[in-house]
Amino acid sequence: MIRVVHILNQFFAGVGGEEKADTPVAVVSGAVGAARGLQAQLAERGQVVGTIYFGDNYFHEHKDDALAVILTKLEQLRPDVVVAGPAFNAGRYGLACVEICQTVSERLGLRCVTGMEPENPGAGVYRDYHNDKVFLLPTSETAAGMARALTAMAPFACRLADREEIGPAAKEGYLPRGMRRLVRVDRTGADRAIDMLLAKVAGKPFATEIPMEVWDKVEPAAPLADSAAANLAVICTGGVVPWGNPDGFKTYRNTFWRKYNFAELKALEPGKWEAVHGGYNVAFMNQNPHYGMPLDALRALEAEGKIGRGKLYPAYYVIPGNQGSPAVMRRVGQEISADLKKDGVDGVLLVAT
Amino acid sequence: MALISAMYPVAEQVGASRIVKAVAIPHPCGDPSLPAELDGQLRREIVSTALKALETKVDTTTVFTPKVGADG
Repeated sequence: MIRVVHILNQFFAGVGGEEKADTPVAVVSGAVGAARGLQAQLAERGQVVGTIYFGDNYFHEHKDDALAVILTKLEQLRPDVVVAGPAFNAGRYGLACVEICQTVSERLGLRCVTGMEPENPGAGVYRDYHNDKVFLLPTSETAAGMARALTAMAPFACRLADREEIGPAAKEGYLPRGMRRLVRVDRTGADRAIDMLLAKVAGKPFATEIPMEVWDKVEPAAPLADSAAANLAVICTGGVVPWGNPDGFKTYRNTFWRKYNFAELKALEPGKWEAVHGGYNVAFMNQNPHYGMPLDALRALEAEGKIGRGKLYPAYYVIPGNQGSPAVMRRVGQEISADLKKDGVDGVLLVAT
Repeated sequence: MALISAMYPVAEQVGASRIVKAVAIPHPCGDPSLPAELDGQLRREIVSTALKALETKVDTTTVFTPKVGADG
């Protein structure tokens, strides 16, 4: 019989709601809460040997500790497969499910299945991990879809435990992970491409072999009536930071942003600033930081009255953009926007490379 | 927001609203091969174009090109 461990948050474990969100990681022998539903679906094929749960806040506030405890518990429970969620549209829970599956698969080599609504922030992180041992099945937005989610997750977990080969996302129903697998086919790429082209011209359906990333559609903001009267701020993704890189930005895949005050400065003096970025030759910007953070030009426009006195935000925002994952950059963008709005900024110049 | 980028075709592709054409990836706001004064003028023109972009109503991805002099 397949040994399954089910990972739940405090709510779905039946411990409590938001007031119990600080619950530390705990393990119960057998199935509790939503794990009972999973057990029912597994029926004779598998057994939920343990349920691990934690508070939604606890996990994110003590992530390293929580993951370490979960790994220890799993080593004791020796499952064949790990099931996390379904988390539906619960953001903290969804992210926790994906982080746990990632760590468990990397450290213990176990295959994992999780479930959530495709818009859950956890689903974005899942796509970015490109982990071939983790599968995310789409669910409804709310827990009304629990029975349906478990009906899909239980047999999937059994197949993972049985080391079954899992086919492509479009066929198996899990969310795509942006991974391409080598397969042997009878016909050359040229033949297949011509088939697709003919199908396209004839208005018939065809499936691309190289799907493109789908980007968020952002409606253009309304124009400023007068930029000289507007509060303006500058964001730099070229990575211009104070010399010595005090906040320890990496040259790639950064996950946080900072702002650096330049209210008292007329220009950025070479030698006091440097560019941290692994995606281009930083020599020019190190010689003249204005190539990435044009403070001299902003001050000149201020002197001419094209930017109002005191209207330029006293600090500029920065995150070196190299190899930033879309999910992380979306979060960073949301955080910076919130900060800009809080301080009443009307217009932003984003200097990218 | 106005996005100043030398990789403006990428910015267009992902649907940024207001894009200002910059000089080059390692030096978007200026050109180190120019004398310092002209380099400064070019930078001022790029930032000024970005301000104009902010004042311009756009319905879709729009690229704004800074005016570059014959010697710049």
